[in-house]
Amino acid sequence: MTAVIEVQNLTKRYKDTRALDNISLSLEGGAIYGLLGRNGAGKTTLMSILTAQNFESSGTVRVFGEHPYENSRVLNRVCFVREGQKYPDDAYPRHAFAAARLFFENWDQDLADELIAEFQLPMKQTIKKLSRGQLSAVGVIIGLASRADLTFFDEPYLGLDAVARQIFYDRLLADYAEHPRTIVLSSHLIDEVSNLIEKVIVIDSGRIILNEDTDAVRDRAVTVVGDAEAVDAWASGREILHRETLGRVASVTVLGALSAAERAEVTASGLDLTPVSLQQLVVRLTQKAEAADRASTAKEGVL
Amino acid sequence: MRRTLNVIRLQLINRQTFVWVPLIILGSATVLSVLIYAMIPGDGPKYGGGGQAPLWYFFAIGISAMTLTFPFSQAMSITRRDFFVGTMLTAILGSAFLAALFLLGGGIEVATNGYGVNGYMFYLPWLWEAGPLGAFVVYFTLALFLFVLGFTGATIYKSWGPTAVTIVGVGLSLVLVGLVFLVTRLELWVQVGLTMGDLGALGLALWGLAIVVLLGAVSFFAFRRATP
Repeated sequence: MTAVIEVQNLTKRYKDTRALDNISLSLEGGAIYGLLGRNGAGKTTLMSILTAQNFESSGTVRVFGEHPYENSRVLNRVCFVREGQKYPDDAYPRHAFAAARLFFENWDQDLADELIAEFQLPMKQTIKKLSRGQLSAVGVIIGLASRADLTFFDEPYLGLDAVARQIFYDRLLADYAEHPRTIVLSSHLIDEVSNLIEKVIVIDSGRIILNEDTDAVRDRAVTVVGDAEAVDAWASGREILHRETLGRVASVTVLGALSAAERAEVTASGLDLTPVSLQQLVVRLTQKAEAADRASTAKEGVL
Repeated sequence: MRRTLNVIRLQLINRQTFVWVPLIILGSATVLSVLIYAMIPGDGPKYGGGGQAPLWYFFAIGISAMTLTFPFSQAMSITRRDFFVGTMLTAILGSAFLAALFLLGGGIEVATNGYGVNGYMFYLPWLWEAGPLGAFVVYFTLALFLFVLGFTGATIYKSWGPTAVTIVGVGLSLVLVGLVFLVTRLELWVQVGLTMGDLGALGLALWGLAIVVLLGAVSFFAFRRATP
């Protein structure tokens, strides 16, 4: 089976910065992917290039086996509503949905109507007068009801309250279960989406630092808590992502899965094992990558 | 093809933009012009430029088609080519609609003897000297030209920034000034006047149409690399 998204050595340069730096990536499809990273890490740039809204500086891009630029075979199967999407002047929400109905052949009007009611979207105001959250809701409704084979959500929850965000997560899962497809969800609210995403891609400073199954990622690190000396003794020689102390108690997060025997050993020595949340892991991995970056830049500076 | 036609439907989804607003502008301009004509003393025919008001509106929707509708069309996964062709077809339809309104206005003015006050804003003799069809072509070309000018300007602005728009504007002005200089230096003004007179409004409009096509081609190549 060919991958839905296939990217090799993709670089995007803006004047003197690299928004994407030699990225290679392959997405098999048929899953919900979380595209995680800090603001400005390159998430939107990557999605824009994959949907031919923007252009790569170099490298190869394949979506459904072809380059997406001016390619209606590919674009017909893709939906990408940007964060801060613009709409025609004086358009009302119903105009935007009527347009989406024209262009997405799998468009489900009933689903759109249900979502409009659930998000309590005001239909008698022009889109430019909607609040930030209501604007996000318009994008979310287009993304869900279009049922495109490959759907991108770009920080879809901005301005949405907790209830509306939960509606989005629930609706996304339910609809995905009924109509399996490939969904890429960019987010920096990692804890909120961690139960939703099956695969996790972490991007930082234009580079991919993680691309794995979410379950495998959860096992990649553990936190050990207990007497500082005992914890440090146990952790010595391991790759430490993070360490914090409170009085005589230390908590150390180390990279690498533990075998059953190792786990037993930890518990026997009076230390506690706690799982690492996806958010913590992503934060620690990002910090580590950035620290390494700074170290290498500093070295270059000395030379 | 189906997607190109759907772009026309997309542009016309909010009928306010291409139908009602031009009608409102035209209606208000007419009412204002008639009121002013009625206040001017004298029995001779009075001519005014109120009819050009909706033409400038086409310049504005040319800009907004690029800056707002284009980004939205990208979210609808429309190729740039389909969007461009569909948008230009919409502009052609809109310009034809506007030109038809001008003919209608001219007809009304002739029939009512200039709204009963001998005042005209559509039936301008120089524009109508080649008959109604000639007048239609003139108004059509003007509307389409302003739309394409707005669209192209906005494309250049979005792709290369305000400096590029200024450079292109200044460059074109320099070319015009250069032409004026040449004509003056070679003492050709009499001939230019004669040629303009010979061409008439219709001839000039047809040349204008050729310029619109050229501008459209330039616009298309700039637009192919535009990002929302």
